[in-house]
Amino acid sequence: MSIINYAARVINFKVVYYGPGLAGKTANLQNIHQRLPDGNKGKMISLATGDDRTLFFDFLPVSALGVRGFTTRFQLYTVPGQTHYNMTRKLVLRGVDGVVFVADSQWDRLRDNVESYRNLDENLKEYGLNLATIPLVMQYNKRDLDRIAPMDYMEFLLNRGERRVPSFEAVAVDGTGVFDTLNTVSRLVLVKEFGQVQEAGA
Amino acid sequence: MRVHDIVIHEADAVRIDAVLGRFLADSSCAAALLIDRSGQPLAESGVSRTLDTGSIGALAAGAFSATAALARLLGESEFSVLFHEGVRESMHVSTVDDDTILLAIFDERTTVGMVRLFAREASTSIGGILEESRKRPKRVGALAAPLTAEEMRRAGDHRSA
Repeated sequence: MSIINYAARVINFKVVYYGPGLAGKTANLQNIHQRLPDGNKGKMISLATGDDRTLFFDFLPVSALGVRGFTTRFQLYTVPGQTHYNMTRKLVLRGVDGVVFVADSQWDRLRDNVESYRNLDENLKEYGLNLATIPLVMQYNKRDLDRIAPMDYMEFLLNRGERRVPSFEAVAVDGTGVFDTLNTVSRLVLVKEFGQVQEAGA
Repeated sequence: MRVHDIVIHEADAVRIDAVLGRFLADSSCAAALLIDRSGQPLAESGVSRTLDTGSIGALAAGAFSATAALARLLGESEFSVLFHEGVRESMHVSTVDDDTILLAIFDERTTVGMVRLFAREASTSIGGILEESRKRPKRVGALAAPLTAEEMRRAGDHRSA
C-alpha cells in the first residue's frame, strides 16, 4: 500500500523479500546496503537470532531519483524464512506493494521454495492481495553453487501458469542480479501505482 | 483484512502538524511521530535531526503488530497502548485508527498519565482528518497523469556507488 505525502513530496512503497530460510533474502539487502551511495539509503536494521537467522525482519529504506518533484522511497523488508515463523511473516507483509521471491537454486531446497511460494500466496490473501496481480519478481539465487537446478526447471517450478513474472539469476553474496531484481520490482510497483503512458512504437 | 491507501494532502498535513504541535505543548512530550501500521512515517513534530524516524517507524510498527498478535492469542482485539520506559527517555505508542499509530517520546518533564490523556485527544483529531482525507482522490496535480517510460525508469532506478 503506497503512501503519497503531498506536503513532504514523498511517495513511499513497501517491498518485501520473501522465500525459504537461508535462500539469501538478508544477503540481498546487505548487498544493496553496501553498494548504494549514502544519499540513497538509510540505516539497515536486522532483527536476527544469535546465529544470524532472521527472527522478525531486516529493514532498509532506499530512495531513487524521484518523479515530478516527488522523491520515491522504497522500504525494503525481509521475512524470516523458517517455517515456524509464519505469524511473523504475515505481520511483515502488511501494506506490501511489491514482492521479490528469493528462491534457493539448490536441488535439495526445491521443495522448500515451492512450500514458501504457497505460503506467500496464503499470506497475501489475508490482506486481500494475490499472486496474480501483485508486482512480483522471481530471483533464482545461489547460481554459483554446484548442485543447482537449471533455470528452465526453476521457472517450471515457480514461474509458470497464466502470469509469467520477470525473473533473474543471482548470486546475492557477490551482488550478481541484486540490482536488476531491485530495479525491476521498483518499476513494477510504479507501473501498478501510476500506470504507464503507452508511447508510439512501444 | 484489507489495508487502506494513505494520502496526506498538503492541507491535511498542515492540520495534522497543528494537532501534533498542540499535543506536544499540552503533554510536554519531546517528540511525536505519526506512522502507518506497516511502519512508514506520515508526520512528525519536535523530532531532532539525529532521530532516525525511518528506523523508529519500522521497529515501532513491528513491535505494535507483534503485540496485537499477542493480544489476539489472549482473546483481545489488540492492546491499544504500548509503553516503553527508559532511564531518561520513554516511548508511548497508541492506536489512532485501523491504519495508523501515534508515537510519543518523552522524558522526566511529564508523566505517562499526561501523555496517555493528550494522546487520546490527538488521536481522535488525527483520525478525523485522515478519514476526510481518504474520501479525496489519491492522485492529484503533478501525479494525476500516468508516467512515461523515462519517468518510470528514473523513479525506480537504484545504482551502486
